[in-house]
Amino acid sequence: MMPYTRLLIPLWLFYMLLTNNWQLSNMVMGMVVAGWVAWLLRPSERKIVWRTVPGALAAAVYYLGILLVDLAQSGWQVVRIILFNQPINPGIIAIPSGCDSELGTALSAHAITVTPGEMVVEINEAGVMYTHCLEVDKAAEHMERAQKMRAELLQRIFI
Amino acid sequence: MTPILQFIAIIAVIVGTLFSLVGILGYFRLPDVYTRLHATGKVGIFGVVLLLVATVAVTPLSIGKGLILIALLLVAGPVASHAIASAAYRIGIPMTGKRDDLQQELHSEPGRKGKQRIKP
Repeated sequence: MMPYTRLLIPLWLFYMLLTNNWQLSNMVMGMVVAGWVAWLLRPSERKIVWRTVPGALAAAVYYLGILLVDLAQSGWQVVRIILFNQPINPGIIAIPSGCDSELGTALSAHAITVTPGEMVVEINEAGVMYTHCLEVDKAAEHMERAQKMRAELLQRIFI
Repeated sequence: MTPILQFIAIIAVIVGTLFSLVGILGYFRLPDVYTRLHATGKVGIFGVVLLLVATVAVTPLSIGKGLILIALLLVAGPVASHAIASAAYRIGIPMTGKRDDLQQELHSEPGRKGKQRIKP
């Protein structure tokens, strides 16, 4: 029952924020919809270790901060390439995700793809992400380092 | 509406429109489908996100709804870019550039072969 409740609350909040109608009838409706979606998703029985929650939250905030800085820097780089017609050296490079879980690999791939100038084209069973970059030489050295840090943070978040 | 919100909205509209324009310009200037996806799929999305920020600041759209729409855009945008790039690669659409680590991987796996890539 606990995993369902854990999923039900964020789903209900999601519904309430989306509809922005705090009348009782809509709140009940939100609970029904959230319950239905939670039942469809069938959450896992994994237990929360409350001792690790503050550390995980701090890691999540740090992870989002790094992602935002990456977004701003790479966005500006791509804008410069397009506006000033700078030369590019595109290509696909292999980057090991370094994550044990599929969720970690998926989140890493999302973080890479949401950053302009880098895009995951394929992931193999070993978790190697084949990433298309606008500047292969620059990206190859910095991306592996960035991915190691990302994998460590994700490990702390989802421990 | 406070002057601060108005100021935020004006800045977000200007920067968001610029990002959207750069996304369109990138579509014409960049050489192939993979590089164009960087411009249209992501720089373009920044434009839409900033326009949503402006909408939240100056219209009755609630902050919660705006934040959820921004989050959904940031999740769905990269997934769409990845899906298009992956499909393009598998059907053998040519790619500019010399280095391609994926070519070897796909051709070493039986049953997962993409078409032979033709360099433009």
